[in-house]
Amino acid sequence: MSSLFTQIAKQFMFSQTLTAGLEIIINKVLTLKSAFFSFDKLAHKTLTIALSELDFPLSFTVVPTKESRFNTMNVLVTSLTAHTDCTITTSIKTLIELQTQKKLTELIKQDKLDVTGDIKVAQQFASLAETLNIDWQSELATHIGDIPTHKLTQLGKKVSDKFHFTAQQIKADASEYLVHEQRVVVTKSQIELFNQAVADIDAQTQTLEARIARLSEHLPQ
Amino acid sequence: MSASDHNKPTNSPQESAENTTHFGYQTIDKEDKVSMVAGVFHSVAKQYDIMNDLMSFGIHRLWKRFTIDASGVRPGNKVLDLAGGTGDLTAKFSQLVGKSGQVVLADINSSMLNVGRDKLRDKGLVQNIDYIQANAQYLPFEDNTFDIVTIAFGLRNVTDKDMALRSIYRVLKPGGRLLVLEFSKPEHELLNKAYDFYSFNILPKMGELVAKDGDSYKYLAESIRMHPDQETLKTMLDNAGFEQTSFKNLTGGVVALHKGYKF
Ligand SMILES: C[S@@+](CC[C@H](N)C(=O)[O-])C[C@H]1O[C@@H](n2cnc3c(N)ncnc32)[C@H](O)[C@@H]1O
Repeated sequence: MSSLFTQIAKQFMFSQTLTAGLEIIINKVLTLKSAFFSFDKLAHKTLTIALSELDFPLSFTVVPTKESRFNTMNVLVTSLTAHTDCTITTSIKTLIELQTQKKLTELIKQDKLDVTGDIKVAQQFASLAETLNIDWQSELATHIGDIPTHKLTQLGKKVSDKFHFTAQQIKADASEYLVHEQRVVVTKSQIELFNQAVADIDAQTQTLEARIARLSEHLPQ
Repeated sequence: MSASDHNKPTNSPQESAENTTHFGYQTIDKEDKVSMVAGVFHSVAKQYDIMNDLMSFGIHRLWKRFTIDASGVRPGNKVLDLAGGTGDLTAKFSQLVGKSGQVVLADINSSMLNVGRDKLRDKGLVQNIDYIQANAQYLPFEDNTFDIVTIAFGLRNVTDKDMALRSIYRVLKPGGRLLVLEFSKPEHELLNKAYDFYSFNILPKMGELVAKDGDSYKYLAESIRMHPDQETLKTMLDNAGFEQTSFKNLTGGVVALHKGYKF
């Protein structure tokens, strides 16, 4: 019996449940407050947050929906990694440290928090998060406030509260980071990025190899 | 109650003889299947979305999200949402591929396509979506056209699945991938029994009550049981030429997502 439940739990699609929940709430609040935010710079941009406590990333993509006089945007939340404009890699633990007034740049130097890609995108998302100022707890409670989803509510709140706070910190610290620190800080992520690039090339080479093998099968002997 | 109580044919779920195929548990002429399936989807089109939510307790949305997450879609991609029906996957893909990308929603059934088109337009999704009425067996696209092809809950309705898979393979670009989201075989016997009871007793009644169409939902339940299991479908992908084929069970194997690449 227990193995059945473990199997089902494994296939509970936790990441999809979380991203679906976040997406519903963000867009609900967005409908009410989008008039107060200029989306021009964020259209089609993606911010990815990789939290070490979650074994999947959270990617937020801003997409324009209706063509109208008013800004109508939609935020998609996925676990896609194929394309992103900026990635923040951190942990909920570090986000708590941030709350105790540690500097973003300090945490970056200590390899506890990492920003790769276009930091301006992170700044823009930070402004958006500030404008929306979502009350996650009450929002989540209205949507999924029953007992079986209690744990999700807790985690969702934890993740998003911390995100909101980091957003403010990033906004405050990013300019400083851009001006003073970016050139001197060699982060773990830059090495990882390089490794990823190597892995990508390796994968592409393999694809190419398979393709060449496929084509040469068709060559006349 | 188990599937066998419903006179499930014991032969292979594949096409049983040259000129016959399955329509749920009935064996019928291949030529008739297309129009009989068409009948089902013309009749359920309007209530399709609401029934999907009811029948799966909303879980189909998570299965579809899983498919999107597994697709590796990126801006600029060309995506074919085959048997796309009312366009749930198309909606997400359209937003993710952006202005430089394109999504084709293809379905054999005009009623489903119309409901899909209206729904996507209401959502303001217009820029990068094309609608095409097409049979999965004879895709009207050039070779090497798409980065991604998805077929969600569609393959089991196709008369000649092998032919459809070959046709999909042809229109994929080298390096492109196919994702098949489809009902499959629950991994655990107990879950299988519960699922059978639900499908053959509760589901058609819900269909009768909400969509006033118990027969169509009986067909859906039967066609799910006749669909190849995980390993069989994987082998069918291999046979059609796909490489690095794999599958992932969702919700205990009630549904499986198969993936294969063209190189
Ligand atoms: C259960 S619906 C799935 C719709 C949508 N993909 C979804 O997941 O909600 C199955 C769809 O397959 C379509 N279909 C059936 N046979 C087909 C074929 N041979 N070629 C293309 N589409 C087909 C039907 O018209 C119907 O819209």
